[in-house]
Amino acid sequence: MGQIFRLMRNKRLFILMIGLILFIVLMGITLGRTRLTWPEKFINDAFGTVQGVLYRPVGAVADFFRDIGRLSDVYKENEQLRQTVAQYTQDQIKFNLLEAENKRLQEDLNFTEQQKNSDNYRYLIAQVEGSTSNPYEKTITINLGSRDGIKPEMAVRTVDGLVGLVSKVKNFTSTVTLITNLDPNSSRGTPVSATFLSKPDSFGIIEYDDESGALQMTKIDERDKPVEGDKVITSGLGSLFPKGIIIGTVKSSQVGDFGLTYTAIIEPAAKFNHLREVFVVVVPSEVDEP
Amino acid sequence: MNMRINWVILCALVLLVIENAVVPWIIPSAWSERLLPHLCFIVTLFVATFAGRHPAFLFGLGFGLLQDLLSYGHLIGPYGFGMGLIGYLAGLASERKSTTIGFFIGTVIISGLLLDSIIYFIYKLFLITDLQYTYVFYWQVAPTALLQLLIALLMYVPVRRFLVKPSLASGEENPE
Repeated sequence: MGQIFRLMRNKRLFILMIGLILFIVLMGITLGRTRLTWPEKFINDAFGTVQGVLYRPVGAVADFFRDIGRLSDVYKENEQLRQTVAQYTQDQIKFNLLEAENKRLQEDLNFTEQQKNSDNYRYLIAQVEGSTSNPYEKTITINLGSRDGIKPEMAVRTVDGLVGLVSKVKNFTSTVTLITNLDPNSSRGTPVSATFLSKPDSFGIIEYDDESGALQMTKIDERDKPVEGDKVITSGLGSLFPKGIIIGTVKSSQVGDFGLTYTAIIEPAAKFNHLREVFVVVVPSEVDEP
Repeated sequence: MNMRINWVILCALVLLVIENAVVPWIIPSAWSERLLPHLCFIVTLFVATFAGRHPAFLFGLGFGLLQDLLSYGHLIGPYGFGMGLIGYLAGLASERKSTTIGFFIGTVIISGLLLDSIIYFIYKLFLITDLQYTYVFYWQVAPTALLQLLIALLMYVPVRRFLVKPSLASGEENPE
């Protein structure tokens, strides 16, 4: 008992309290801030660059060993890809015709230059430079920053599908918050609106349930009942966010919170760990702004 | 102070880079949300054991804040607070007891559990997570603490040989 009192002598307790208050103030100030001061940018850029030097070669080696492990699947995968390519060639012809027609109609209806270009997204290739060990802030660092025209809330995707949103931008690097960080019951994250590929007018919000570890699309109108196996893509409502990025496929569906909406459980298309290369999607109207 | 503190800081910087760049590749995909070892924190515990509470406090505070800065998404400060506090407490405990390896093992386990719990409660306080503590403990805190113990034991011999000044390692013979 005496030891405990000695441990908690007044001076120490006092310093601990002061420290606690200072830290809570610090956390409160830094909560929900998007702009960074220059020391933060500098430290992040420095570490990001050094990390990148290590992260990429290690990733290459790790991928090499993974590929060796998957060597037996190559034949099957090749077969599948061949079928996909055949399908793709068919679609390409159809797509070219549709695009030409679309362009002609846009001319006829006097679309402005900005409206015409609004779907021509630019993709910036970024190398991943590291991820963090903080369980509540799953972020990755990429090697593009404000010098390359990156802005907060831009979409980040891999070849497979949507991965996350740019959250903090430094001069040479940026931090990407993964979509597994969009929690429905907490105050964090920017909502991503989504739609079904087969029903372009449907609407839902992408959320991630930490407890079950599943990606969800919630607040779906009761007229748009989710169909199992349907693809979920970003809807681009609000025009700041690009549309048509694959998020995943519907695994199952259930009736939502108040019985008026549906919730779909989604199997994500992209992996969220062991990432090496991602694309930042630049929406043209955003670029044209001064 | 019985450690080569400049070398320790250099090592911790290297380990911080390794933690963000190499460790994610070593952990298998299925476990990547469960095993999140904090290498700098392990070094902080070594400092607490071999150099005392004040260096450990400053060391934990500095590297905790650095780590917060690098993973900044919502908050800056949880790791700075947690690692500073636990560094101090671990230093306090090891100054009272002898620095045997058994004691060190206990320190690493308890501090690891304590740190991740503090981090969880801070994020809970700011409503950034809504998970249950029992779930987090089973899902992430306990596996991480065990992995940290393994890493700490692997590092124990090299740290004692290269980073602790021989005056402590060989007893009181040369008190230089």
